[in-house]
Amino acid sequence: MAEAPLIQIRNLSKSYGSKLVLKNLSLDIFPGQVIGYIGPNGAGKSTTVKILTGLIPDFEGDVIVDGISMATGALEIKKLIGYVPENAEIYDVLSPMEYLDFIGKLYGMEEDTLRDRTKKLLMAFGLAANADDRMDTFSKGMKQKVLLISGIIHNPKIIILDEPLSGLDANAVIMIKELIMRLSNEGKTIFYCSHMMDVVEKVSDRILLINKGEIIADGTFQSLKQDHSDTLERIFSKLTGRQDQANGADAVINAFD
Amino acid sequence: MIHTFLINLLNLSMDKIFLRFVSFFYPVLAKTGVDIIQLNEILRVKLTMDNRRPKAMFAARKNAMNNGQQSPWLINFFTILIGFFIGLVLFLTGMPYVGETYYFIIFMVLMALTLISDFTTVLIDTRDQFILLPRPVNDRTIAVSRILHISIYVLRLALLQGLPALVIVGFIDGILAVPVFFIQILEATFLSILMVNIIYLVLMKSVRPQRFKDIISYFQIGFSVLVFATYYLLPRLINVSVLGNINLLTHWWAYLLPPVWIAALNELLIHSSRSGVTTSLLAIMGLTLPVAGLWFVAKVLAPGFNRRLSVMATSEGNNNTSTQVKKAGKFNLIEKLSNLAAPDPVENAGFRITWKLAARTREFKMKVYPAFAYVPIYFLYFALNGKGQTISDRLEKLQNSHTYVFLIYLSTFIMSAILMNISMSEKYKSAWVYYALPIAEPGKILSGMYKAIVTLYFLPYCLVLSIGIVIVWGPQAINDLVLAFLVSLIYGILMALFMVKGLPFSKPVVAKQGGGKMITSLLILAFIGGIGFGHYFLMRWEMLIWIGIIPAFFINWLMFRYYKKQTWDNIELSQV
Repeated sequence: MAEAPLIQIRNLSKSYGSKLVLKNLSLDIFPGQVIGYIGPNGAGKSTTVKILTGLIPDFEGDVIVDGISMATGALEIKKLIGYVPENAEIYDVLSPMEYLDFIGKLYGMEEDTLRDRTKKLLMAFGLAANADDRMDTFSKGMKQKVLLISGIIHNPKIIILDEPLSGLDANAVIMIKELIMRLSNEGKTIFYCSHMMDVVEKVSDRILLINKGEIIADGTFQSLKQDHSDTLERIFSKLTGRQDQANGADAVINAFD
Repeated sequence: MIHTFLINLLNLSMDKIFLRFVSFFYPVLAKTGVDIIQLNEILRVKLTMDNRRPKAMFAARKNAMNNGQQSPWLINFFTILIGFFIGLVLFLTGMPYVGETYYFIIFMVLMALTLISDFTTVLIDTRDQFILLPRPVNDRTIAVSRILHISIYVLRLALLQGLPALVIVGFIDGILAVPVFFIQILEATFLSILMVNIIYLVLMKSVRPQRFKDIISYFQIGFSVLVFATYYLLPRLINVSVLGNINLLTHWWAYLLPPVWIAALNELLIHSSRSGVTTSLLAIMGLTLPVAGLWFVAKVLAPGFNRRLSVMATSEGNNNTSTQVKKAGKFNLIEKLSNLAAPDPVENAGFRITWKLAARTREFKMKVYPAFAYVPIYFLYFALNGKGQTISDRLEKLQNSHTYVFLIYLSTFIMSAILMNISMSEKYKSAWVYYALPIAEPGKILSGMYKAIVTLYFLPYCLVLSIGIVIVWGPQAINDLVLAFLVSLIYGILMALFMVKGLPFSKPVVAKQGGGKMITSLLILAFIGGIGFGHYFLMRWEMLIWIGIIPAFFINWLMFRYYKKQTWDNIELSQV
């Protein structure tokens, strides 16, 4: 890849109190890549995402997105990024139309384009009939769809998805997987965090495995397979130091004795 | 349909007026680096959400309304109505200062309490962290939007609450007093904000973030009790017409009350003939203090305030403070108590889940805890219900009578408050475990629940009451107390049998009560009321009461056995 990296992370460290969550992380991400970002609970995954989306402003090291430094141009960077958070926070007394109108305008979109696009997107996600219902009656999957739309409404260059499939039904999952491929073909860079190894295996063209604040594997699924094991699940468990999974299961069985 | 449409229209237009008003400042704000379009959007959405959010102030009344969905216009109407009732105080014009001072005392207290109880959720909206922060909105815009949002909220409240008094003052002191009064309302509003800010700051400095929300909900509980108590007791305890003739300024402490300073402005400008140097000094103080206070809030308190709020909102703030359940001695004691009261494993599970969820569920506490205070208030209300006597006379009469049994019987009010709420929860879906697990005798869970309610809430409460009663009325009350307690327990089981047809915290919070249930509950109440009066008339024969305890105990035992045998057919299941 001859292009300049879209996201450059250099010696990124972050600690909460005395606990070091990220240890000198360095990383280059190129335009059009779909990054599968995986790691065990507490490995530093969401901290990385929060730094990348500007939610955590104080950190050590450099984060440069599209030539802009996070330390000085966080606002410009936020314009380039669409973020779908994991914890599904949403103003649920609003309707999807109202909520998306609000989000779109925060990105500075024009009313007409925004309304038009919102309608089309709601239609595409099968929410057209609920466009004007308050979201407090929505199912988890429906709210997740609205969140997904709010992450792509401004047509961002970079899309950061944190466990985006939670609550979605099989049809929606197929659609999102397809959507990720298509967005990547359009030149979007996608940062995909998940615990669902089979999905990550399929959608990403580069997999990053983080453990205890450090990246311990970086490459295509094919290359990881050659070096380590045959499924992503096994690779994950081998590299994150839990080869004794069988022992874990033993311990569970033994607990009944 | 047209009706609700009109209401919505009125509310929308109200917000529009405020937004229009705020937009006058936009050019100035734009120069300081605020993004005007984003600011306008954030304010518009926040105001819309405020209108759709149920208010804590009317939480007590919410049950009466069918769905808990309150129309914002109704709330505005209530605010104006309350404003009107406070405004009536202004007619106390016997002495200078008096009417207005009382008015502003009530105005400010009400304002501060409403701010604390209703606005905390807005201030600590953790969702902002995930919805606003990832968007390209700069810090200044967010900070300004927060300040303006609070200001709009407060001013709307102040105007609605003060509107009736503006009119009343026009009648009393003439048309000129109206603009003066408007300024006085603003003074009072700013001083209330200052008060609230100080309270928040002290709380935030002294307690951990998690505790903060709990303390706020205790504030809300205290607020509803206060409103209730003033409504029932104040007219009994104080002769209002006497109040009007107190010469406030002969008491030195009056000079320390901010409402006096505010009232001074009216004295100075409208009744200049009877005002002197002191009044002008007080009036000047009243004018400068809010401004100085606002400056103090903006410069000194607000920065730390916002920082603390953001710490509270992010996970970092919560990371450090552990949410681990304390294993204090008190809990061990209750655990032992639960093993003693409910030895059967299923019953024990029912006991413990009721105890733990009741103690930790904020909504439950909000609805039930005020009832603990209502009982003595009701009692005093009925007991002091005599005309033409001084309070000490009435109290003496009270001590000579046997009315104390009613204190225990009134406590059944707590029992029904707990029972009516115990099966409801916003997180009722977690109750799937009851349906998924092989529970052959769900009656055991119910009996565990009932035992928990009695041992942890009702019995301690009655014990405290009894100790008080024995101190005031002497030990001959003991047999009455025991009997009344047992009869109350019968009432409790009857209520539980007929009214509470759900497992603990297993049903959604909708007050959907059929007419049949209302009648049942009234019948139960009438039955127990009859027994209570019977008890009252038999009280002169001490022995009879002692004997009465035996059948009461036996009936309790029988009914409880029956209650324990409830099957799945008797329990209303809810969709999980």
